[in-house]
Amino acid sequence: MDHLVASLADGLLLGFVYGLAAMGLTLIFGVMDVINLAHGPLIALGMFGLLLFAGANGLGLHPYVALMLVAIVGLIFGVIIYYIAVRRVLDAPHLSSLLATFSINMMIIGVGTAVFTTSPQNVEFSLGSLQLGSVTLLGTRLVAALIALFVTAMLYLFLYRTPPGKAIRAVANNRAAAELMGIPSDQTLALSFGIGAMLAMLSGGLIATFFSFSILSGSVYELKSFVIVVLGGLGNPTGALLGGLILGALEGIVPTFMPVSWVPVIEFVLFVVILLVRPSGLLGER
Amino acid sequence: MTVLDVNGIASGYGEVQILWNTSIKLEKGKLTSLVGSNGVGKTTLLRTVMGLIKPWQGSVTFNGKDITRMSPHAKAANGIVLVPEGRQLFTDMSVYENLEMGAFTKRAKARFDENLEKVYEMFPRLKERADQKTGTLSGGEQQMVAVGRGLMADPEVLMIDELSLGLAPFLVLDLFEILRRLRKEGLTMLLVEQNVQMALAVSDYAYVLADGKVEIEGPSREVAANPKVREAYLGI
Repeated sequence: MDHLVASLADGLLLGFVYGLAAMGLTLIFGVMDVINLAHGPLIALGMFGLLLFAGANGLGLHPYVALMLVAIVGLIFGVIIYYIAVRRVLDAPHLSSLLATFSINMMIIGVGTAVFTTSPQNVEFSLGSLQLGSVTLLGTRLVAALIALFVTAMLYLFLYRTPPGKAIRAVANNRAAAELMGIPSDQTLALSFGIGAMLAMLSGGLIATFFSFSILSGSVYELKSFVIVVLGGLGNPTGALLGGLILGALEGIVPTFMPVSWVPVIEFVLFVVILLVRPSGLLGER
Repeated sequence: MTVLDVNGIASGYGEVQILWNTSIKLEKGKLTSLVGSNGVGKTTLLRTVMGLIKPWQGSVTFNGKDITRMSPHAKAANGIVLVPEGRQLFTDMSVYENLEMGAFTKRAKARFDENLEKVYEMFPRLKERADQKTGTLSGGEQQMVAVGRGLMADPEVLMIDELSLGLAPFLVLDLFEILRRLRKEGLTMLLVEQNVQMALAVSDYAYVLADGKVEIEGPSREVAANPKVREAYLGI
């Protein structure tokens, strides 16, 4: 029983970080109807960003200071990707934006493999652990969950309380009307894509504080993000957080009953079941 | 004085030409109406003026400056505001947020409090419903939000597409009363309407559009007296 509670707690902490990653995917889809297939490599870039800024062979900054730099790089990188690859295919059929973001995916993985190789890396970092009764929580995971929660709260404040955030919601809701009201929709979409990429890279950076990784690691988290986004409802950030927690809990609990290799099987069975039973997601409308 | 000069516009969608050498002028402080049957290109003309559709030919001049190629959001920032057909509200956002989005531009933000007070005074219902999502409002209330949002943009030229469409007659009368008041306050307006009789009654000058061309134009009273107009649009 203790073991189960500990695994569940561990999984839930991870779930917050998964939720953050999925939020990046769902925000971009919600605002501009684009499924960002470069999501996984962006997560991996976040991991390597942390390695470069915080690693012993890099700048050697404190990991959480490095994380802020990763966020800034993510925002800029997302805006660049928007202007290069996404902007011109926005009004084209969905296949075009899928292919455009997929080619960004291939470019990042190609260049990343050449520069970093595909061998596993890790950032040496530990915050000790916290003992709560019989449950031991790893410090890095606890802080990662808190940061993910904080970033989520900031995202909501931004979207609901600031003019650029409200402009993003207006453009997502009705792009032509936003233009008519003087909202520069192109810049607003670029900002949204930047924030989506930032969330992806942030989650990657957080994951890198407790897991080892390679340039190919992103794809695992991209798939998780898809499952989460479908669980919570496409375009719904709260749903993404909820979906992340569900997935994290599953990852915590399932290995206590059966081999770890069954975790993805269970996840994708859930994915298919949700698609069949409630395709709009747990929190989705309609 | 001409505020907005739309000259020789040809425009359409894809290969389909809708407007053929269409010209209209908006005089400062006047209420101009653009009337005609369904599908003659009234909305297309507005969309072209705003820059939502690129014109194939012709020019749009605002206070003497050529703005033909200006983006819609830049036009709004200069004070050219369209209340679009079908209202096009931000349905997931509250009434207040819609009004706030109307005042997104610098020029509108500068007069936010003043304009908000004016809009709430014209449409007290919007003040009551300020926190409600606009998607849940009735058609009439939504049209009030659409007009209110347009006014929040602090327009120098306000263009309204189909003010009366789908609304109950008493609401239409209320909204036309608002137009009269705005005209008295000196706002330059263009009203696009299928309700020809009401549009001619409220406006100073009128254009009758048929098959993508201006067929008849003149002071509204003369246009209303034109036998062709009487027969084709007023059913008299």
